[in-house]
Amino acid sequence: MVGVSFINPLSMEGRERVRQLGSLDSLIQDNPELIELVTRSKSQDISEDQDIPRNYLEMALKRLEWYVKKRNDRDFNYRKFAFLFQEDIEKYDIISFYLLSQAIGVRFGPNSRESRLMVESQGSLIQNRLEELNSRERTEIVLKALQELLSQETVKWTFFENLLSSRRIQLSDLVLDQGEVIMDREDFRNRFGSRLQHRDPDKMYQLLIGQELQELILIRMVMQQTENYMAEVHEKARLMVEPNPLLLELADKVTEILIQPTTSYGGSGGGGGYSYTGPLNREAFPPCVKNALEGIKSGGRNDAIVLFITPFVSYARLCPDIFKQNVTVQVSDKDPELQVVHNEVLPLIYEAAERCVPPLFEDQPQEKININAKLGFGMHSNLKLENEGETKWYTPMSCEKIKLHLPHLCRPDEDCKKIGNPLSYYNRKNWILSKERTESEDNVGKEGYNEEKEKEDQANGWIEVKKDDA
Amino acid sequence: MEFQKATPEERRRYYREEWDIKQIPRFIRHSLYQREFGFDHHGRGPNDRYRTFRNEDHLRKFMRYRTPFEAYTSVAFYQKPNRREGWLKSELVFDVDAKDLPIRSCDCGSVCEVCLDQAKNIVSDLKDTLQGDLGLKEIHMIYSGRGYHLRVQDEEVLGTDSEVRSQIVKYLVGAEVPRSEYSNQGMTYNLEHFTVPFGYPQVFTQRVKQSILYLNEDILMEEVNKKLIKDVIKNRHLLVDDQWGPFRNAIGPIRYKRLVKALAFVNLGLVDAKVSIDLKRILRLPSSLHSMVSMKCTEIKNLETFDPLRDAVPRFVNERRD
Ligand code: SF4
Ligand SMILES: [Zn+2]
Repeated sequence: MVGVSFINPLSMEGRERVRQLGSLDSLIQDNPELIELVTRSKSQDISEDQDIPRNYLEMALKRLEWYVKKRNDRDFNYRKFAFLFQEDIEKYDIISFYLLSQAIGVRFGPNSRESRLMVESQGSLIQNRLEELNSRERTEIVLKALQELLSQETVKWTFFENLLSSRRIQLSDLVLDQGEVIMDREDFRNRFGSRLQHRDPDKMYQLLIGQELQELILIRMVMQQTENYMAEVHEKARLMVEPNPLLLELADKVTEILIQPTTSYGGSGGGGGYSYTGPLNREAFPPCVKNALEGIKSGGRNDAIVLFITPFVSYARLCPDIFKQNVTVQVSDKDPELQVVHNEVLPLIYEAAERCVPPLFEDQPQEKININAKLGFGMHSNLKLENEGETKWYTPMSCEKIKLHLPHLCRPDEDCKKIGNPLSYYNRKNWILSKERTESEDNVGKEGYNEEKEKEDQANGWIEVKKDDA
Repeated sequence: MEFQKATPEERRRYYREEWDIKQIPRFIRHSLYQREFGFDHHGRGPNDRYRTFRNEDHLRKFMRYRTPFEAYTSVAFYQKPNRREGWLKSELVFDVDAKDLPIRSCDCGSVCEVCLDQAKNIVSDLKDTLQGDLGLKEIHMIYSGRGYHLRVQDEEVLGTDSEVRSQIVKYLVGAEVPRSEYSNQGMTYNLEHFTVPFGYPQVFTQRVKQSILYLNEDILMEEVNKKLIKDVIKNRHLLVDDQWGPFRNAIGPIRYKRLVKALAFVNLGLVDAKVSIDLKRILRLPSSLHSMVSMKCTEIKNLETFDPLRDAVPRFVNERRD
């Protein structure tokens, strides 16, 4: 049976484990037991030495590397990380969790890219670990972990205030009655059974609450607690003496993982995922964007401006290589003073809105708020740094989605055959254009632009369990 | 008689003869010293702000003497209200303005008995959800002069931030189509919102039903054409006794999907979301005169029996005679 701390390292059991830990120095020494455990994990690939963590520190880094690689590496090899899902690694896992959280907390604090990586990877790790279990084990461990987190008999929705505030869950995800969040089968039947005429209450419970919602809540709660924990550490570290050099060293290595160039895909040679950052180059826009900028005359104005143009323009200008990034980004990571947003991004979006027939803001001024929200600045009429993070910065829609939701905008040309997302079109086209320019000067052009791996759906949702709401 | 601007003389009569500080609801009087007040003295917007009053007596004298055109107070409680600093908490508020309802049952162009009544029904629905789903208890209803305010005082929500409030708004008004696909042990099942008689799907069903019942052919909705609206109007009698299945069949599943998506967006207009998410908003002071329309901003004791045209009309209006 898996322990609760394998799922929630911040559980009482998990905290107890850490307390028993001896001196920090032992953390960098080779640990034969760990090596042994990893090497004999079933389905573990041990062909290369560097794939085997030799001590706590390396184990900690592996945890993050797994997440980054899983998201970005087309040749991701699960078997190199099989040990992360072995229950007997638990003890090492917990301690490396604390090491990481502390290192990131001390060095970078909450809201950093590093802390986002930590939180996201923890969520994803739990999800994957649960999937490894058989259904009975899975139900039991979720129940047990939740019981501790929700200790009270009844849970009011306000208990989830933090999760609602960080949008890790939506109020409408929960089943509410009289202010309480209904999670228990018995309770469900008592409250709603009589209202269900032609349906079996148990079946209804399975669908509406069941395993899925419980896991969602569990995972999001642990993610939130991880973030809170790093914030606490950060606060304490500010008041305290020198942080342990070991933690600082680990923190630096975390950054290395983040900036690690991702493997370039397909073929060798130049161009590898070219992306151009700088003032927007309208010449390189794909047909759909050009069409939208000319003004939407048929329906679908809102979606076109808010869900399509806003993400496209903002990412094209600030972060054209988003689909190669290792974690989600925020606008201020790229534009700390928000100058580019105010001077280049918003004006272009507003221009497109103005060109709609009728002009979008004329009858729907509230869409300005929605635009701010899609840039990650919450539901506010003014775009301000202090509100950043209240919502997510939406990643650009894929061609597939555009064809589905805004079919009148998609008028593919030759270049569209090579891409699956308007943003990749933009990057590719910029590359071609710059090549043409340099080629006409000298003859350095090399073959092959390497298509980016697109994973906008992952980038939109925190992790797989949450349905994309774009 | 109705909805004319009050003259300065009428304002004076109102505040000197009719107004009584005890008409200000207790939840405001008890926290006077923590609130910011704002006034509009000349009908040009509330530009006299950052006002504070140490006690009821000061406020009473101010109102009697200045007879403001409009009077407002913050939903926020501050340590230093005169500087809007030291934010402590904010009431959770919802503003239902009869003039701005997204689907209106009349075409009066401003506000009349009919649309005020429609606003009242919406308020009553929102209140039911606040109580029944969110379990909130201290909900005060105010007639604002042109619509209604719901002001929630339950301690557990006073500290919530804008994001949480925006989620509450979306839940209350039904601004998102509930998912209809659920999976269980590898199987996917379809459950339309109207088959779930509780929780958010039920809220959504009720709001959409109201919107459909009020729908008229002139409403413009994204991705919904005239033909679809016509068919909805033709078949909506089915919804009067909640025959959703037959209604959906009559419309067709694909068009039904488009319809509810459009209505979810329309629902967002049931309340002014900006008011709810703004933690430092000022709202019209109950008991004060809405001078633009000559009505009293009034706390409502019993929503069912409340009639604005009887209970919120100042005396001077009835005495107006040419
Ligand atoms: S194929 Fe993609 S990039 Fe090309 S026009 Fe269509 S949506 Fe735009
Ligand atoms: Zn009217």
